[in-house]
This record gives sequence, structure tokens and C-alpha cells, in this order.
Amino acid sequence: MREMVIIIIGAVLINNIILSQFLGVCPFLGVSKKLSSAVGMGVAVTFVLTLASLITWLVQTFILELLEIEYLQTIAFILVIASLVQFVEMVMRKKTPDLYEALGVYLPLITTNCAVLGVAIINIQKSYGFGETLANSLGNALGFTLALVLFAGIRERLDFADVPQSLKGMPIALITAALMSIAFLGFTGLL
Amino acid sequence: MSLGKEFSKGILRENPLFRLTLGMCPSLAITTSVNNALGMGVAFTGVLLASNIVISALRKIIPESIRIPCYIVIIASFVTLTEMLMQAYLPELFASLGIFIPLIVVNCIILGRAEAFASKNTVVPSFMDGLGMGVGYTLALVIVSTFREVLGTGTFMGHVVFADSTYSALIMILPPGGFITLGCILGFLNLLQNRKVMKNRQATQLKLKQQVAHEVSSN
Amino acid sequence: MRKALKLGLFLCIVAGIAGLAIAYVNDLTQPLIEQQMEAKKLNSFQEVYPEIEEVKDESEQYLNSNTDPLLTEVHVIYQANTPVGVIYMVEPSGYNGKIQLLVGADILDKKITAIKVLSQSETPGLGSQATESFFRSRFQGKSMGKQLEIVTKEPVEENQVLAITSATITSQAVTGGVNVVRQHFLDNFGG
Repeated sequence: MREMVIIIIGAVLINNIILSQFLGVCPFLGVSKKLSSAVGMGVAVTFVLTLASLITWLVQTFILELLEIEYLQTIAFILVIASLVQFVEMVMRKKTPDLYEALGVYLPLITTNCAVLGVAIINIQKSYGFGETLANSLGNALGFTLALVLFAGIRERLDFADVPQSLKGMPIALITAALMSIAFLGFTGLL
Repeated sequence: MSLGKEFSKGILRENPLFRLTLGMCPSLAITTSVNNALGMGVAFTGVLLASNIVISALRKIIPESIRIPCYIVIIASFVTLTEMLMQAYLPELFASLGIFIPLIVVNCIILGRAEAFASKNTVVPSFMDGLGMGVGYTLALVIVSTFREVLGTGTFMGHVVFADSTYSALIMILPPGGFITLGCILGFLNLLQNRKVMKNRQATQLKLKQQVAHEVSSN
Repeated sequence: MRKALKLGLFLCIVAGIAGLAIAYVNDLTQPLIEQQMEAKKLNSFQEVYPEIEEVKDESEQYLNSNTDPLLTEVHVIYQANTPVGVIYMVEPSGYNGKIQLLVGADILDKKITAIKVLSQSETPGLGSQATESFFRSRFQGKSMGKQLEIVTKEPVEENQVLAITSATITSQAVTGGVNVVRQHFLDNFGG
């Protein structure tokens, strides 16, 4: 249990998936203009990332390793993720239309979110067990949501700031992300 | 459009990283040294070229409704091949690029080019398009990593530039350095473009004035 | 329904061709990759123990649930069929995650032949200096007899090791790893 808490804290704060591992930067910059959409994206990613990590772990352990075809990992994982996203979208549309209304637009974007595939592969590389995989993917997903929501909050304010013409938009967003990343550097050595 | 233009558009006008801001993740993560950036660029270009060629060749066979899964399978296979070849022949580079080699699969540029270009064009233009985009991306990675490596460690491709290491800014090769460098480069490019737009505007205004003056005087 | 079947079949064919191509290249590259990993391992072994005639992985024999969990591998070096040295793989926790460390020890002299950091994620420029030869050489020839301790001033005692400037935690982690090795060495290869 203690091990798991350490993994989660490490993933959320110390090795934050966006600010120190640079996974999932595209949605981080793309869907952070409004706080509400950032929250939506965060929830959608948390759900898909955790589920995808667990399924890819099972695929790796019970299919790829048993058949000794680990070299098909990349192909198998991306197909699993793509079909999972499709499946979740379908189920959501039928069973929970309200939730679909809120999160539906973010789902297709998740397939090409490198955070999902990245975390799935990292879990295997670090040879985590099922429990550790759960902890690590949950931690990373929460870290993603945390960074995204904080960043969106800053960017909403940034709209009113007097930014030099050339830095408007993407450049100032990146520089803001740099400052956040420096702040998160302060967490190193926490554990 | 001519083949030369298909090639050159990826380098300047539609540079995937600087102009379209696609493929950010690797551009921030592996640009701590120029060697890594070059290695990543070459691997990326290889995958993009191969996938563009195959997808444009098969564009009439692949059914419309399942094209995206087909593209993903094709891209993922080439990524896996690259991964294996790299691990076998360039193990050092493979170790330092780490997880970002398999992650080429989800690099939006490759799927983007497949969908926007290769699925609508023949093999030769698609090849040129892939080559241009690949070279453009590699160039962008090298530029970002040059700033980070020289400022962060005082070396360039491993060769010492500043002998006194007390002047190296460690932050540049830490994660924040990636964001800062890319932000500043994009800002600088915007500045250049804004200037150009201003100049053009001034030039046309000047022309108009002269015209008006000319017409007045001729009357 | 027929259309769905047709599309599914098409996708299967594409995936099948891709799978076959990858399997073929895998067969070509796999031996090369293994060869390289083996060569790399032997190279790093030679860096911590200069003259190796024969080396055997005896981790199973020497590591069990009672030994320190930080120890991951034990390799015994033989010369004319008598054990002369041991190479340990140990993974202490540094400032920012695990440090993978090789420690070579001579059975006759009961001294450390050399250490080598295989992988680490310490702060670049500070803790990452643990991989450099100036720090590694501080362990060379240290006796296994006494617990090593890290000091921040010029060492006076034989069992003291000078820390890396501004990276005391990393230095302590490496020394801690060496001390774990030392304990196991004394218990198993004569004290």
C-alpha cells in the first residue's frame, strides 16, 4: 500500500507527466484556453488512460508474452487504445447521453494523445505488476488533470494581460508552462 | 503545384513544429542534445516517408470507412521496424531517445500528412511532401536543441564550446528549458512575420500615396 | 453485415501483412540486439573488474528473501575454476529515483575494485556527476572491512568518501548501495 502511495505522489508531483516527462503536451496546449473544457478533458483522459493502461497490461502479460510476440507491442497497444476510445464513445452515447454531451468531443482526440500510449509502455518497461500499473496510471492521469486545470486557470487570466504582440498565443503559453515546470521542479526530492 | 514546392513548403511555410505547432512532445523532451535531435529527426523522417509512400500507393484500395485504423496499423508497423533497426545498429541513440521512438506512432504530424496529403495524391508528390516535412521537422528539432545544448551544457554535438562550465545554464537542459526555448523561438518568428506584414503594408501605402500624388500632378 | 465482414477482413489482412513483416525483421535484428546487450554487459563488467577470465550469473544462489532487496544481481568471477571476485548489481534510491549501480569486489584483497553507475535520473549537472570517473575513483581500492561513510570535507579516514559538491543525497545513495554490497560480501565471501 505504501509503495502505491509513493508511486502516485511521484507521478502526480515529481515526475509530472506533462511538465517533466513531456507526454501529452498537444492537448495541454490545445484544450487549455477555457477552464471548463480543461476539466472535461482531464476527466476524459483520466478515465481512458487508467482503463487503457490496465487493458494493455493484460494484453502484454496474457497475450504478447505468452505467445512470445512482444515485438508487436506498439501495434497491439495503439490498436487497443484506438478501439477502446471508440468503444467508450459508443457506450457513453447510448447509456449516459449527458456525460457524452460533456466529454464526447474530447474522446477522439485521446487516441493520438501520447500520454495514453506513453504511460502504457512505461508500465511495461518498469515491469510493474497489476496493482502498481493501476497506481502509476491513476497517478499520471491525475497529474495530467492537475497540470491542465492549473494551466487553464492561468491562461484565462493571461487573456487580460498586456502581452507583447509577438508573444501572444502559443509563445506566451509555452513560457507560462516553463514557469509552471520550474515550480514543479521544487517537488524533486520530496520522497 | 511543382515537386520542388511540395518539398520546400514543409521547411519554411508549413514547418510542422514552428508553423503548425504539431509534434510538440518529442521536440521538448529529446532536444537536450543536438545528437538526440538529429537521431529523432532521421527516425521520424524515415517513418513519415515510408508511411506516405505506402498510403499513397494504397489510397485506392483502402476502403474509406476504415482508413484511419489502416493508417494507424501501417504507421505503427514502420515505427516498430525503425525501433528494431535502431536498437540493433544504433543502441546508444536508442537508449537516449527511449520511449519517444515508439511514441512516433502518435505523433500527429504523420497521421496528419497521411490524411491530408498522401490519401489524395500519387506516390511521387507524397514522397516529396514527406521528405520536406521530415527535413523541416528535423531542422526545427536541431535549432531547438542547439540553443538548449550550447546554453545548458556549453557543448555542441558533444564538442566543447564554452570551456568554463560555470557559465552553463543548467535550467536549459532541465524540463523548463524546453518550454522556454520553444516559446522564445515561436515568439521571435512571430516578430519577424509581424515586421514583414508591417513593411508590406507601409510599402503599399507608400505606393498608393505616390499614385495619388502622380494622379494629382498629372491633372 | 456483409460489408462489415469485408471491411473487417481487409483490416485483418493489413494487420497480418504488417505482422509478418515485423516478425521477419525481428528475426533478423533480434540476435544482433542480444549480442550487443551481452557485449555491453561484459564491457561494463570489465570496467568494474579489469581482468575477467570467466563470469557466471549466480544471483539465484546468493539472493533470496533474506538478502537486502536492493541487491538485484550477483555475478561471480572465476580464475582457473576458483572464485576470485564478485560483481554486484544494486539499486539504491537517489534524489530522483533509482540508481542502477555495479560494484566489483576482489575476494582475495577484500577490496572494491571499481564501481559504475549504469542508469540514473539524478539532476543533470549535479547528481548526474555520479557517473563520472572522478567520483567513481573515490571508491576504488576501498576496503570492505569497514562501513563507508560520506563526508563533505576532505576525507581523513580510510573509510570516508568525499561527496559530490551540492549532491550529497546522490552521493549518500551510492555509498548506501556500496554498503549493502559490503554486508552481503562479508556474509557470503568471507569476512
